[in-house]
Amino acid sequence: MEYNPILLQVFKNRFSSIAEEMGVTLNRTAFSPNIKERRDFSCAIFDARGDMIAQAAHIPVHLGSMPLSVKAALAACTFAEGDMVMLNNPFAGGTHLPDITLVAPVFIDGSPRFFVANRAHHADVGGMSAGSMPLSTTLHQEGVIISPVKLVEGGTIDRKLLQLVTENTRTPDEREGDFAAQIMANRVGIRRMLELLAKYGLGEVESYSRHLNDYAERITRAAICEIPDGEYRFTDYLDGDGLGNEQLPVQLKLTVVGDTATLDFSGSAAQTRGSINAVRAITVSAVLYVFRSLIREDIPTNAGCTRPLQIITRPGSIVDAEFPAAVSAGNVETSQRIVDVVLGALAEALPDRIPAASQGTMNNLTIGGIDPRTNRPFAYYETIAGGQGASRERDGESAIHSHMTNTLNTPVEALEFSYPFQVATYAVRSGSGGEGRKRGGDGLVREIRLMSDAEVTLISERRLNRPYGLLGGEGGMPGAQVLVRDGETEALPGKFSRHLCSGDCVRIETPGGGGFGIKDK
Amino acid sequence: MLQIGVDTGGTFTDFIWRDGDKWGEYKLLSTPDDPAEAVLAGLRYIGGDRNIHLVHGSTVATNAILEKKGARTALVTNAGFEDIIEIGRQNRSNLYDLTCRRNPPLVPRDRRFGLSCRVDANGQIVESLADSELQGLVAKLRDAGVESVAVSLLFSFLEPQHELQIGGVLKPLNLPISLSHQTLAEFREYERTSTTLINAYVAPKMQTYLSRLQNEIGKEGFRIMQSNGGSISATTAMRESVRTILSGPAGGVVGAWRLGSLSGFPRLITFDMGGTSTDVALIDDRLPLTTESSIADFPVKVPMLDIHTVGAGGGSMAMVDSGGGLKVGPESAGADPGPICYGRGEHVTVTDANLFLGRLIPEQFLGGGMSLQAERVAAPINRLANSLGLGGEELAEGVLAIANTTMERAIKVISVERGYDPREFVLFSFGGAGGMHAAYLARGLDIPKVLIPQNPGILSAAGMLMADVIKDYSRTVMLPETEVSINKLDRLFAPLEEKGKTELHAEGVPEGEIRLERYLDMRYRGQSFEIMVPESNDWREAFHCQHELLYGYANREREIELVNLRLRSIGHPAKPELPELEPGGSRPPDSALLGERETIFDGVRQRTKIIDRARLARGNTVQGPAILVEYSSTIVVPRFASVEVDRFGNLLMTIDA
Repeated sequence: MEYNPILLQVFKNRFSSIAEEMGVTLNRTAFSPNIKERRDFSCAIFDARGDMIAQAAHIPVHLGSMPLSVKAALAACTFAEGDMVMLNNPFAGGTHLPDITLVAPVFIDGSPRFFVANRAHHADVGGMSAGSMPLSTTLHQEGVIISPVKLVEGGTIDRKLLQLVTENTRTPDEREGDFAAQIMANRVGIRRMLELLAKYGLGEVESYSRHLNDYAERITRAAICEIPDGEYRFTDYLDGDGLGNEQLPVQLKLTVVGDTATLDFSGSAAQTRGSINAVRAITVSAVLYVFRSLIREDIPTNAGCTRPLQIITRPGSIVDAEFPAAVSAGNVETSQRIVDVVLGALAEALPDRIPAASQGTMNNLTIGGIDPRTNRPFAYYETIAGGQGASRERDGESAIHSHMTNTLNTPVEALEFSYPFQVATYAVRSGSGGEGRKRGGDGLVREIRLMSDAEVTLISERRLNRPYGLLGGEGGMPGAQVLVRDGETEALPGKFSRHLCSGDCVRIETPGGGGFGIKDK
Repeated sequence: MLQIGVDTGGTFTDFIWRDGDKWGEYKLLSTPDDPAEAVLAGLRYIGGDRNIHLVHGSTVATNAILEKKGARTALVTNAGFEDIIEIGRQNRSNLYDLTCRRNPPLVPRDRRFGLSCRVDANGQIVESLADSELQGLVAKLRDAGVESVAVSLLFSFLEPQHELQIGGVLKPLNLPISLSHQTLAEFREYERTSTTLINAYVAPKMQTYLSRLQNEIGKEGFRIMQSNGGSISATTAMRESVRTILSGPAGGVVGAWRLGSLSGFPRLITFDMGGTSTDVALIDDRLPLTTESSIADFPVKVPMLDIHTVGAGGGSMAMVDSGGGLKVGPESAGADPGPICYGRGEHVTVTDANLFLGRLIPEQFLGGGMSLQAERVAAPINRLANSLGLGGEELAEGVLAIANTTMERAIKVISVERGYDPREFVLFSFGGAGGMHAAYLARGLDIPKVLIPQNPGILSAAGMLMADVIKDYSRTVMLPETEVSINKLDRLFAPLEEKGKTELHAEGVPEGEIRLERYLDMRYRGQSFEIMVPESNDWREAFHCQHELLYGYANREREIELVNLRLRSIGHPAKPELPELEPGGSRPPDSALLGERETIFDGVRQRTKIIDRARLARGNTVQGPAILVEYSSTIVVPRFASVEVDRFGNLLMTIDA
């Protein structure tokens, strides 16, 4: 198809600027620190078929899953102008329940020709534990399940539906504020798309959205061409599901032929009782993230990037879970291990470019209870950074988020103003990075003292299986967690949910990154 | 009285001076190894032995950070939190860079010292600071051989006792000490620590530099430009150096603000296009402030003029990527090798595209002081065009169009994304390359008017002469609105106002001429970004309205949280007045017409007038297509625009709807 390279660039800028402006709106208007301070959200634009045109780069784990939510919304609902469909069902376009997506059509001449969507991590969506990242065994324990349904119809918010959803969470007020922000972000996206359409006309905007997909596809293919043809295998393990099922393999056979790659995960463990099951959308996201990282150019992340990739998963496995599997941690933990496995396979093919394993976990900590200062319930969720893997040229960075997440921390002072905690230590965990010719980055130590009774849940990985080193570099130190009560310390497992008392301290030490190459004597 | 504004830039040090009714400008090559050399040479040339009033924008603090050549500094903080400045916000700057590294902190681990003491979120001391800790600290700092010290403790803005104790015990060391509750009395420990640390890191450098200038020109009437758009005495700048980084761009925005209001345009979008980057800012009757700036990725939370920068300029290079896309910038040919037409560059740049289309007149560049090699440009442009299946002219116009979308995007960030409609503003264009793009940018954004000042290349220095004396103060209070009354606000502001008055008085501003402006940073309870609103009796409603403007909605049911108090203490020093030009007719004098040449606009080749701006009189109008040349810039007036000279010699361009 013929295109003008100048207009291609102009449209690339325009589409990404719309997605980014949606992100700015969502970030600024949201209520929960989770969205605002940590920026755990994504915004994107889609064509009439639900193929992604542009996404604002916020959180990689949403990469492959946003298009599926738009397709699920399209399959379930007939859109009219001014509608917005809400969903979080991991088996109908979602990934895990806290991530709620809002999809809205852009109408031209009576039909939806484009869609805008945004997804935000809500700090609580109900379920068995505060913060909705529980040690669950079925989806139903994880919170309110929303299959695609219209939250906004013809521009009017369905208040009863909104109430039904927010009343099933521990913090309805905050939820309502976040929903308002999500609606606002989509409205901004629609307005900007209409302005673009008014300026260039439907035909031009549609054809350049296709050209941009082709463009991203060409660049992705060029990047795959740099990988020597061959078959590469790698297996790594999840520590366990927290319910006694340990050493769960994530296994990959990567086949590269010319400008295409086939990733076969069929050998991975069967889905398990605990919550670390990943739905297929997450596996797609993780793969897409790694291949996107191989591209040096500043390209739009869109449907074209996925075309040269064939991803094979076995339904019912830990990387393609089926209803009603518990999935809350698959999004945050298993996604990281999938990245480690894809990188591990690629390391054999591209030893100069692929780093050793980074911490490989997000260290999901949730604390919920009643704030004695206000008598209001609270639900706090945070992820904790760790060490980055070293590479041929560089030591790994310390205390940084890697791969599938990039959320900010909550400042100590912001945390203590808003929640009944006191942070006792927040420091780099010296010496936790793996030795090597280049050293892995160090993890973090974070110690939080509870100033009221609270329910504390930790979901973490790399407590048994350390992040791997490459070419003779040592693995990073695994993570650890202890409870300090009345001067006594008690080691805790990597996945736990406990009712703790005022005065208790939870100390979390996050894993270091793997080293690269044999250390010179 | 001889008044001089001096702006030290990367290439040139710009001077503007005023003596009674007389104005003049002067430019010298900068002397980066010792910036004072160029400054003193220029002052001698202009002023001889006379007494002068000087306002100076220096890059000493900025460069100390960018080049990592600041002082050997120590950081004192709470035990267990020594790594806060290393951890930052725990994120990476590039999502898809597998080996992304951060800029290492300005102070390495072995010079960060933790003390056991703690204040909680209510401002209560929950662990006091033992004398033994303090004495140990003094010994350690002595051993470490440090040149300055930053002290930043958790919640010190609520209870500064521990920071003051540390400051007291360190006094005998006779070092510059920055206490975080004095540098920035606001919550968010990483940002406060970073700001305090930067202050400690650059202060000794500034002291050396400013003392040297002060020895030559005297203390009286020596003022330094700050990044907040105001000036302070050199003595204060030695202590509060963090407030002077990014002062050059601030001068330009202040200049635009003053000239715009004089000409009757209080609402401006400033557009300063240089060789490697473009700065834009939005002025809605008042100077725009932000507290979310950073330098070299280190946050700086003192208020600064809100200037947004993008990597598009005259030197931005056009390149084809592996997907067959044409991109322009952010890579820049810079000054070396520079654009192809400068003689040595190999990559097609924005400047080359302008030249190829006839919009840049080779023999008029820098008043003919630098010759451009037009003949080098055609072949590379045609080659690049061929590889994309385009004609040379189509490619050149495309390169400009792509650069324009990047700059348009920057303007949208500061306008549309913050709730402002750019169509209600005038585009104020300055900087070397701005005049060639302003008309197109205005058309792309539906902005009807463009204002281009005289001497657009030295507006920053001029703006410094026009700046007020300003000191900013702030304090985190974190109060629910139910606990705030107007009386309480008066009580809370009282100590800040006392300080604001005393300190401005010490700056030489007579007591009666000090103006105090109160601002409140607020948010809805549960939000984590604050909005700054001028204080008024109706401050709640003002917040709701501002929230609605910025974010599209307000929620009057929701509880407001008062996060920070802000105070600006302002004094107006004597400032130069601009002379008005004698009126002339609408027709430019014949002597202004330098000739005609062929140029290409929107794919059409046409005869275009070349006009000498210096010869235009007030009231003269020129209909496009035309090109106006002057010493340091070129102004392109396409067919869809016309310009008129206003009473101050500014060009007012009108874009046809």
